[in-house]
Amino acid sequence: MAFWFYRGLRRGIATTRYPDKLDPWARALPSAPSFHSAHLTSELVDRLSEMCPAGALARVDRELVVDLGRCSACGRCLDAGGGAVQPSGEFLLASADRAALVKRVPIRGEARHGRQ
Amino acid sequence: MTDAIGALAVTAAGAWLAAAIAALAATRRIGLLASCLLSGLGGAAACTGGVLLAVHGAGPTLSLGTGTVGGAHFHLAPLAAPFIALLGLVAGAIALYCPRYHAPARGTAVYLGVYNLALLSSLALLIAANVVAFLVAWETMALLCYLMILRHHDRAGVADSAFLFIALSEVGFVLIVLAFAILATRTGSLDLATIAARASRVHAGWRSAAFLLALFGFAFKAGLVPFHIWLPAAHPVAPADGSAFLSGLIIKLGVYGVALFGFTLLPGGPAWWGLVTMGFGAISAVLGILYALMERDLKRFLAYSSIENVGIIVTALGAALTFTAYGQRAIGAFLLIVALYHTVNHGTYKTLLFLEAGVIEHTTGTRDLDRLGGLIRRLPRTAVIFLIGTVAIAALPPLNGFVSEWMLFQGLFQGFRISSHLVGILIVIAGALIALTGGLAINAFARAYGIPFLGMPRSGQAAHASESHQPVSGPALLAGACVFLGIGAPLVLTALDRVARATAGIDIHASLIVPQLGVIPAHTKFSEFSPTYLAAFMLAISAVPILIYLAGRPLARSRRPPVWDGGILAFRPRMQYTATTDANPIRVTFEPLYRPTVHVERASDDPAGRSGPVHYRFRVTPIFEKYLYRPVIRLVETLANLARPIQSGDVNLYLFYVFVVVVIAYAVYAS
Amino acid sequence: MVANELQPRGDLGELSVELRRRALRLFGRSLHIRTVDTGSCAVCESEIRLLAAPHYDLHRLGFFFTPAPRHADLLMVTGPAVRAADNLLLKAYQATPDPKAVIAVGACALGGVYPEDALIHGAIDRVVPVDVFVPGCPPSPLALLQGLLVTVGRLEDRVTALSLDLDAEGAG
Repeated sequence: MAFWFYRGLRRGIATTRYPDKLDPWARALPSAPSFHSAHLTSELVDRLSEMCPAGALARVDRELVVDLGRCSACGRCLDAGGGAVQPSGEFLLASADRAALVKRVPIRGEARHGRQ
Repeated sequence: MTDAIGALAVTAAGAWLAAAIAALAATRRIGLLASCLLSGLGGAAACTGGVLLAVHGAGPTLSLGTGTVGGAHFHLAPLAAPFIALLGLVAGAIALYCPRYHAPARGTAVYLGVYNLALLSSLALLIAANVVAFLVAWETMALLCYLMILRHHDRAGVADSAFLFIALSEVGFVLIVLAFAILATRTGSLDLATIAARASRVHAGWRSAAFLLALFGFAFKAGLVPFHIWLPAAHPVAPADGSAFLSGLIIKLGVYGVALFGFTLLPGGPAWWGLVTMGFGAISAVLGILYALMERDLKRFLAYSSIENVGIIVTALGAALTFTAYGQRAIGAFLLIVALYHTVNHGTYKTLLFLEAGVIEHTTGTRDLDRLGGLIRRLPRTAVIFLIGTVAIAALPPLNGFVSEWMLFQGLFQGFRISSHLVGILIVIAGALIALTGGLAINAFARAYGIPFLGMPRSGQAAHASESHQPVSGPALLAGACVFLGIGAPLVLTALDRVARATAGIDIHASLIVPQLGVIPAHTKFSEFSPTYLAAFMLAISAVPILIYLAGRPLARSRRPPVWDGGILAFRPRMQYTATTDANPIRVTFEPLYRPTVHVERASDDPAGRSGPVHYRFRVTPIFEKYLYRPVIRLVETLANLARPIQSGDVNLYLFYVFVVVVIAYAVYAS
Repeated sequence: MVANELQPRGDLGELSVELRRRALRLFGRSLHIRTVDTGSCAVCESEIRLLAAPHYDLHRLGFFFTPAPRHADLLMVTGPAVRAADNLLLKAYQATPDPKAVIAVGACALGGVYPEDALIHGAIDRVVPVDVFVPGCPPSPLALLQGLLVTVGRLEDRVTALSLDLDAEGAG
């Protein structure tokens, strides 16, 4: 069979090759937020927790508790967090352990600001 | 042997007469029991006598009185043997059923007296040897049945139904009298044997007239379409054992009459007699079951089913006449055997079904299928017995209904042996109609068993039914008889073959029963089947699913969750099929026949869910009442009105009539 | 009704978890899924429906949808466990034969968006025991496929090792 026919068939298969290979467009899918802990302050964290509509963010002492299970990837914390919040690109978040979905990020920004 | 048969017949008659007298004491329990006991004894005697008569092939002659109008002569002819045996069996079963069904009361006493006299007159009718005895017995039987139907005369609709019964019975009786009158005058004798001997010398036109009058006259009693309208009216209002007696035996007497005329009194008739009879039968069969499917009342349903089965019997008789007329005497005799066999079969299982319908009515208080349900848990013994009756009447193997319908089809399929192609085609059409009937009957009886017995109760009455103190032994006897008639078919058919030999003059035993208990339809190479082996095989093969189940049971303990229902909150009885909806496909298909009037009413036109209950009323147009009986009745009324001026009440006019008659008489006798 | 009351897990504890994992591994290439909607907004359902489309095609991985819980090995549950759907969810759970697994799909099912109140439980694992949680709103069909593969043990989960701290030691 002509090579172009074979290549066309290959390119023509629209099915994803996942789990063998992840499609390139998957990088643009909505994903959970990731944080620059160095830029987080308690006040910022409180503000973000307030505005999160899914209740995924909370502040416990000097830690930001992120419940990935509750996150709906709406992006509000991205907009409001300034540079401190970046999309993580992680959307393959299945887990057998509910507790593993709760991540803790230390709030390091305050300490830096606190010290003059 | 002949003496024994005679003695048994006399015993039966005497027992029933005694039972009728004992019934006068049925206002107390002891009288009720005594009457039923005597009635049962009579039944046993009659059944045994009938069987012996069939096997022996000839019966004795008895005489009562001499001289006046021919006296009463009785002769036990073999043709009557299956009917006598059936009479005995039905009487015995009802005798077992009565004590628990009826309460001792004055009405019961009268009813049982009348019933036993009806048994007596039926027996007299079957063994009558001359015309007068036959007609007297016939009319007595009809009047007694009328009184039986009137048991609950104070209830609404009973009197009208009973009147319909007796009116149509009388019309039929007139035709029967005319038929007998023609034969008696043409042969110059009132004795049935003499008429049979001399009938061949009667002119063909008179013979045909006699046969047609007899056919139409007996059709009124047998319940052939369009003379059937009394059946669905009378059966629901009579007490259950009365309905059982009517359907189990009385309509068979109509069949007996047709058989008497076709095979004994006027043998060797032309083929068109058989074709007309067959047409009658086939149409009755199809229409009977089609109307049955539209019925919600259990007893009306069973009544229509009786019409269907009598249609089948009469089709077999007609086919027998046709085949005999074309020289195929072996098949003719075979089909006569089929007709007699189906008579006995239907008598057995229809009686059973009506008796059980009576039990259902007494325990739940209703006959409406749409108010019953789940009775298999509340009335387990009734459910089993009713199931046996249902399987038998739906013609499912290995019971008796299956054997007789198989034989009927095998007989009809041999129409190709007839030289006339037209007649062959007509026989095929009749066979096709009977096949349609068979399919519809299975549908009808699946509905008649499934709706009341299976599923959830559709009303409080059905939910609280209790089987204590309900009669079981009578229906159980009939269920056992069904099983015996099916599995022991070779025995029964041997006896019926002797009857056919005596009646039709041809012995087909070698072409009927083959040594390995097989039944063949008069020609060895055509087909064969053994009901006995089939039953044994079915029993053996049922071991397979049982073994599979036993072997497949899980070794580990398993969890038994409830049935998956889609996650709904709860099953409601209203979610089930009803009898009305179950027959919907048939209703839609045969709408031109039913011409239904449908009435739908909503409480309001609010969008779905808030419009309140919807009332749906569906009525089948009774086309026979509307297009046949009403015009005839109107014509009769018109003629009567025209004649009314004659009876003006004016004495002077009456005197004028006398004067005119005297003048005419004078003129006639003077010349 | 609380999940604990109907766990078939009994006192086996960790052993039962291991047993179920082995059983699920047996399903590896032939797993029948029954979806149960306990009151979702149906966007998760759209993504689930896409699984059968040519782009994602779960059949090539050996997963199949079935409408009957009796034939199912896995219940895929969406929605915030509305109390009115308790009967439905529990009946489906009881009707599914063991060994079985339950996947909770979507942020609602995991307790997000809607807190517990008089009308809803808020999270599926308050009603039936859940084996695998698939976050997302809605989870992309790729995430659903990952969830299924994690359930049958053909993929390891990625989230345990995941860190959301971009400035952590060793990151960047």
